[in-house]
Amino acid sequence: MTSTLSKKHDFDTVFDSQEVFRLILDALSCPARVVSIQKYADKLFGAHPLFLTLALTLLDNEVSFCVLGDDLLEDEISSLTLAKKEQLQNADFIFICSAGEKEEAQRLQTAIENAKCGTLADPHKSATIIVCDKSPAASYVTLFGPGIAETLECHISHAVKNALELRDAQNYEYPQGIDLIFVSNAGELFALPRLARMGVK
Amino acid sequence: MNNNYNFAFLDEGSKREIRRCTLKAVAIPGYQVPFGSRELPIGRGWGTGGIQLTLSLIGPNDVLKVIDQGSDESVNAVNIKKFVGLCTDVETTNNTTEATLIQTRHRIPEIPLKDGQILVFQVPIPEPLRIVEAREEVTKKMHAEKDYAPLWLQLYESLVKYQKVTIASEYPCMVEDRYMTNPSPIPKFDNPKLHNAECLYLFGAGREKKIYAIPPHTKVVSLAFDDVPFERESFAGKTCRLCKSNNTYLDEMFDAQTGEKVYQCSDTSYCKEVAAHA
Repeated sequence: MTSTLSKKHDFDTVFDSQEVFRLILDALSCPARVVSIQKYADKLFGAHPLFLTLALTLLDNEVSFCVLGDDLLEDEISSLTLAKKEQLQNADFIFICSAGEKEEAQRLQTAIENAKCGTLADPHKSATIIVCDKSPAASYVTLFGPGIAETLECHISHAVKNALELRDAQNYEYPQGIDLIFVSNAGELFALPRLARMGVK
Repeated sequence: MNNNYNFAFLDEGSKREIRRCTLKAVAIPGYQVPFGSRELPIGRGWGTGGIQLTLSLIGPNDVLKVIDQGSDESVNAVNIKKFVGLCTDVETTNNTTEATLIQTRHRIPEIPLKDGQILVFQVPIPEPLRIVEAREEVTKKMHAEKDYAPLWLQLYESLVKYQKVTIASEYPCMVEDRYMTNPSPIPKFDNPKLHNAECLYLFGAGREKKIYAIPPHTKVVSLAFDDVPFERESFAGKTCRLCKSNNTYLDEMFDAQTGEKVYQCSDTSYCKEVAAHA
């Protein structure tokens, strides 16, 4: 009798990773541009397939990460990518799981206030915060910065606005800073790198 | 496709590291992100930085174009295209508008690039301060402190000595008012194309192990004094001998026997297209 070995995840670490990376690159190059990673997340199982999609694309044993809000996800990412679990202050990638509005805001605040922002000499040694944002778009803001032609009127959720306000409150001296990536339940992803700012140009 | 190698030659760990550095480079325009440059089947200094970027970016749906000094048919361009083709099977093209990914050595195509296109530069010396400071640890500190005085001084000395700025290529530019950046050895003629572009510019220096980027719609200002504005090469009164264009970057060719000088577009695919529609 023969038995068939089946894989839990169908995500292709060569071709799917490449496509997801190009989508992230597009999103980061053009802040607030929405791209969809849902079809890749459909190839992964568990409670957080969107986070796993990003983790499998960006993480490996060379980098560290931290998950706020789900220990099981932390174990899953660690076993799939071999990335190092690290304290919030030292993590290269920080994943924030969605929760109730109040709890999510609290996690976001903790993450942004403690994430490493690099140094003036080595600004690349800074954290990327990846947030699962389930809340609906609720406010209009004006964004500007590299990747945006002049300014961009954008309809964003309270969580995103809150994240931008918290990041502004840190008063990082550029090039220090943190980069934000948001994913929605529908698999939509957009990014707000450190130079994407809210307000009037 | 040669199946003895991974898709796009590099192993996935290498690609992932280059991809992470690329994302950081895009987030901090003009900043040189250090990366672990890999060995390739060509020598460092022959475009390995650009190739590594291309290999980490490319997928089966891409259309690749490679140019060397504007030409699709020079040795460097043809061999890079063959190499990437061997390990990916992607479609290649000479047509600038068809390409999704363009690797270039020393030119930006004449046709303005569009949103969604990526131009990858092969960079020999990524450090614009190297000409005034040899030590890496010092240039790194100068970037951290935004101390670009020696570069301004060099520009001033050039004006005092020669009454003009003598930098022909690798003309430094300020990206987003923060980082002095070397736009690779493109001629000054191409510098204005970096400002507020539609496409993404990525720069890879394999020997120097640095990646940097200029995202779309980024402010890029070529170094100049208020009273001595930046000037690019002028080809006034000259036209391409093949397509009669008078607004492109021209190569000068000299016939030693007759002493005649002729001019021809450096961007060969643009030249052919214009000539075909003439």
